[in-house]
Amino acid sequence: MSRLKTCFDQLRAQKRAALIPFITAGDPIQTLTVPLMHGLVEAGADVIELGVPFSDPMADGPVIQRASERALAQGTSLRDVLDMVKNFRLQNQTTPVVLMGYLNPIEIMGYKTFVQAAESVGVDGVLTVDLPPEEATDLSALLRAHAIAPIFLIAPTTTPKRIKHICVQASGYLYYVSLKGVTGSANLDVISVAKKVTEIRQHTDLPIGVGFGIKDVQSAAQVAKVSDAVIVGSALVRLVETEAQDKLLKMIPAFVRALRQGMDAL
Amino acid sequence: MSKFNNNQPISRTRVKICGITRPHDAQVAAKLGVDAIGLVFYKNSPRAVSVKTAQKIIQALPPFVTTVGLFVNAEPTFIHNILAQVPLDILQFHGEESPDDCRRFDKPYIKALRMRQNVDVQAFAQRYSDAKALLLDSYVQGVKGGTGVIFDWQQVPSDLSKPIIIAGGLTPNNVSQVITTLCPYAVDVSGGVESAKGIKNADKMTAFMKGASMVKSITLKKTPSLPDLPDSDGHFGPYGGLFVPETLMQPLEELQKAYQHYLNDSAFLAELNDDLHHFVGRPSALYHATRWSQHLGGAQIYLKREDLNHTGAHKINNTVGQALLAKRMGKTRVIAETGAGQHGVATATVAARFGMECVVYMGSKDIKRQAINVYRMRLLGAEVRAVESGSKTLKDALNEAMRDWVTHVDNTFYIIGTVAGPHPYPLMVRDFQAVIGRETRQQIKVLAGRLPDILIACVGGGSNAIGLFYPFLDDTDITLYGVEAAGDGLETGRHAAPLCTGKPGVLHGNRTYLMSTEEGQILETHSISAGLDYPGVGPEHAWLKDNGRVEYVAVTDDEALDAFHDLTRLEGIMPALESSHALAYCKKIAPTLDKDKIIVINLSGRGDKDIHTVAALEGIKI
Ligand SMILES: Cc1ncc(COP(=O)(O)O)c(C=O)c1O
Repeated sequence: MSRLKTCFDQLRAQKRAALIPFITAGDPIQTLTVPLMHGLVEAGADVIELGVPFSDPMADGPVIQRASERALAQGTSLRDVLDMVKNFRLQNQTTPVVLMGYLNPIEIMGYKTFVQAAESVGVDGVLTVDLPPEEATDLSALLRAHAIAPIFLIAPTTTPKRIKHICVQASGYLYYVSLKGVTGSANLDVISVAKKVTEIRQHTDLPIGVGFGIKDVQSAAQVAKVSDAVIVGSALVRLVETEAQDKLLKMIPAFVRALRQGMDAL
Repeated sequence: MSKFNNNQPISRTRVKICGITRPHDAQVAAKLGVDAIGLVFYKNSPRAVSVKTAQKIIQALPPFVTTVGLFVNAEPTFIHNILAQVPLDILQFHGEESPDDCRRFDKPYIKALRMRQNVDVQAFAQRYSDAKALLLDSYVQGVKGGTGVIFDWQQVPSDLSKPIIIAGGLTPNNVSQVITTLCPYAVDVSGGVESAKGIKNADKMTAFMKGASMVKSITLKKTPSLPDLPDSDGHFGPYGGLFVPETLMQPLEELQKAYQHYLNDSAFLAELNDDLHHFVGRPSALYHATRWSQHLGGAQIYLKREDLNHTGAHKINNTVGQALLAKRMGKTRVIAETGAGQHGVATATVAARFGMECVVYMGSKDIKRQAINVYRMRLLGAEVRAVESGSKTLKDALNEAMRDWVTHVDNTFYIIGTVAGPHPYPLMVRDFQAVIGRETRQQIKVLAGRLPDILIACVGGGSNAIGLFYPFLDDTDITLYGVEAAGDGLETGRHAAPLCTGKPGVLHGNRTYLMSTEEGQILETHSISAGLDYPGVGPEHAWLKDNGRVEYVAVTDDEALDAFHDLTRLEGIMPALESSHALAYCKKIAPTLDKDKIIVINLSGRGDKDIHTVAALEGIKI
């Protein structure tokens, strides 16, 4: 059974929501990424979303844009990110890792080369922000053939017809974008999020994660009540940006632990 | 034998004034040089005349003015009775008369056809094979002062042997544009020259004749049957498509639907045509650059003068179209990205005119290079937001505009400035810019008597190039050159030539040729002209490169600069640095061609915005 399925099945049995932190690979330096990933797991992360840096991240707000720029300044490439997952798997065989990024680096590497490499290093899911299901047929088929979940977004603007269509295409989990905007935008509205999650649930048995706009213990706890997974990105990446490098391996897990405790206190 | 021999140029478009009810009006019309007058024998018409009035009108006419009798589903006995008393030269049938109904009177006749979507003009012409001409009536109820004929015209097959008469919604204001774009055998006006129903107005008739004679008419040759791309999901072969975050899928679908709807909406098209004429100043001139041609010593060079448009470039053709669409879709705020600032200015201009809020994103590097355009946008009431991310140029401005759109989808329309972006933008912008090529087709036949041998345009995102090329894509004996920016030279890597050096990838919503690293990161580009400084290109160009229809080449900063000076000194026309790239390529090939060869260059914009750049390069401070 896949790592993602095992993970969500266990959580479901425990009636707990998953905590999915996002960090950009190679930010602030490449050698910190794998230790940070282990730190996230120790602090209570159930799945890790690892951002693949791209020069033109059009769906990201300033915080993750700058993270991408820092990672690219370190020369972080898609191959480097795959290597990081490989290193992570030397010590961790259970925590699912999902790559999140944009299509062009994958196009340039070639779908086949990428998917084979991703499978061999132990990637569990791939979320390509600028690849809606309509254009994803080829890549999705390859990913599935190699036991990797193509993960898709659903947005507040997504029509009921599209929700149905996306649910058919998706595997692993669904990522509900909680607001109209870029990553790290202002506040999310829990009531409308809950409504949309209920609507999506009518079309799928897959877990439904919620991301964009969750930035503290309180919002994480609220979203945990109405969904299957809480995805936290910009709030973590902001810490990477503002804290001193030698403190990151303490600060980042501490923040994640606080989120986990807040979610579990319910 | 040339394929145009069947279509010898005609010297001018004839004019018929219909619905004359007073002898005096007929006399005025004749004095003004009208070719024919129409008398309406249909009692439900407010312009119907009695036998007696008809006789008086014809009596008042001097010789050599044709009299036309108009009938709508009349009984044969009624028509025979009229013909016995009124000396009509020709009959015009406006109802559901069959061919036999039309030909039983031993008189030459014209059959009218109401232009709707999907009418088969060819089949109609075959059915009424002995009609002297077809009158295409595009009048639309409730639409004042314009016609939707420009788009409908594509329904008229090229090999139609019958003369075409255009009627419906013609006015003194739009007649010249209709003639330049459609080149009919004749135009037919009634309401457009009246002060009240049936009462013709001498001033309006004078103005109409002036408008009609302003342009010399030319061969009847329609736009070619257009290649059916993109497909319904926006693909040009493997290129194009819709590569955007999920939040934008629904707004793009809504835009697609609205665009398809208004593309077939006569009121929308009438307003667009009216704006292109009165606000933009179209048709833009086609100019024979005789001194420069002579200087180069080879082919004859013609310049399509998009620099003469309002705001000084081709960009406004597109912003007018998109702003009208935005208005119809109920959007109150428009946003745009800009590099050189031309598209930003064109967007700020239409936003001012339509009273919309306007935000323009511009890389902070470009803001420094194009200070004058930044100030122009601010004067027009737009907010210019500096983009500090990435390479701080056009591509980053596009990213930022997309982010704004994702955040404000409800009230905001994103006006993209070139044939890039997700579907339907590459299609929509091409359609709005194709007016350049349509006009060129007609104008070159007037000026040179035939179609050109070569077309040249610069390629940034590719909108001015596709605008010129598109109506010529089917004419495979015409060579098309798209000119990219080679910057310091293709071998230096400091350039903006994705088609010449790049490989396919995905950026800004579509798959196309891109300049990117081995790892798929988008490269910074370099060009002397900010408008060409973009690492991608419209997906249709990627397709046209692969199938070989267009040849893509590149010229350096220095070559473009030389061409800028040449045209300024030899022709008194200061071209934009973008357009100078097309000129520079022409400089290379014109001397190698015979003097009877014809080259048309898209002079996409004027150079005023670039004088600071040019001065700085020459070490001059202004
Ligand atoms: C005068 C002029 N020509 C050409 C271009 C390039 O754009 P495109 O390739 O879309 O015509 C620009 C862009 O700013 C421009 O201002």
